[in-house]
Amino acid sequence: MRNCSIAVQRYLPHEHAEPFWQHFTVPFDESTSILDALNYIKEELDPSLSFRWSCRMAICGSCGVMVNGIPKLGCKDFLRNYLPRNYLASESTAAVSAAEIRIQPLAHFTVERDLIVDMNEFLVHLEAVKPYLITDAGADETPLEKHAQTLAQTNKQTPAQLAKYKQFANCINCGLCYSACPQFGLNPEFVGPAAIALAQRYNLDSRDQGKAARMPVLNGHNGVWSCTFVGFCSDVCPKHVDPAAAVNQGKVESAKSMLIQMFTGRG
Amino acid sequence: MSYKPELTGSWWLKHRFFMLYMLREATVLPLVFLLCSLLAGIYSLASPEQFASWQAFMARPWVLALHGLALVAALYHAFTFFQLFPRVMPIRIGARLLPPALMVAVQWAAVLAVIVLFLWLFGNSQGAI
Ligand code: SF4
Ligand code: FES
Repeated sequence: MRNCSIAVQRYLPHEHAEPFWQHFTVPFDESTSILDALNYIKEELDPSLSFRWSCRMAICGSCGVMVNGIPKLGCKDFLRNYLPRNYLASESTAAVSAAEIRIQPLAHFTVERDLIVDMNEFLVHLEAVKPYLITDAGADETPLEKHAQTLAQTNKQTPAQLAKYKQFANCINCGLCYSACPQFGLNPEFVGPAAIALAQRYNLDSRDQGKAARMPVLNGHNGVWSCTFVGFCSDVCPKHVDPAAAVNQGKVESAKSMLIQMFTGRG
Repeated sequence: MSYKPELTGSWWLKHRFFMLYMLREATVLPLVFLLCSLLAGIYSLASPEQFASWQAFMARPWVLALHGLALVAALYHAFTFFQLFPRVMPIRIGARLLPPALMVAVQWAAVLAVIVLFLWLFGNSQGAI
């Protein structure tokens, strides 16, 4: 096994008022992920290091960090991606140790400790777009009757109807797109890529009738029009959700809904 | 206790992706210059002297260079726009998505058609004079 230099941006509010860099040397091979490296540091070098993770297979979305300034899932990104080609074969240890990998907490969020950020800033936006099926059916029935009715209707959907929103349903709420978005960095009130992708996911669902309830959030000052199509969110998304496409499809929808509102007084 | 790093004005210098984005947005600058030049041309129609001085202005090398830049900027902006279009307005036929490459090609074909149309119109009017 070869060694690799890793710098981690630490923040221990009870010991230091300011964040600081700590340098580590970590053994690695072809299969060592950023998350593996962090776990090695915690187990072998410094148990005080804090970071989030759970599934280690790009499903739970909790291991997001900045690697050399780019938002990444720690479990889906490998040390080998940051080192010279053929580092294992090459004799020169200098080339490997020269390339230090810098790990920081996700950008544009409040940092609470080391690599732990306050994800609530992201979750409030997700919640704001009402990300669940909203149906008009059975408005005047008891909750139980309504539930039974929803169950009876829910599952009818053709492959063509599913295809319309499937891509946007793949989001794992990792928040990488928020760290990639300069508009969110400048204005934390911006609803943001993943939440708008989720709104679009339900608006495009044939079983849903909640579009009118979601549009006010998307039409608002901090909705889709805060986006200037930088597009980096889609570049960093580990699930190919293409949130930038969703936001800009949302602009088309928002323009339509505002026009309709102008002429009819209804959303 | 917590901290939040502020985004500085130079955020767009940190990554190639952001620089290309800023370049795309900056294409508006030479285009504004072109529009102002054309607008001045309309006003100069007031008298033959003004029109002659406008023509002299349009023939200056630095003006020609800026207008050349406007053409390149417009083409670059069109390139980025055409690339993004299939993502913003995906066209579905049943469960199948129309291939994005096809949509990009159709847009460039439309540009070509407009150029050919204008060359034909311009060519004819030149003949008439
Ligand atoms: S859209 Fe992509 S990057 Fe954004 S939260 Fe969802 S999975 Fe993560
Ligand atoms: S640990 Fe679950 S996504 Fe990385």
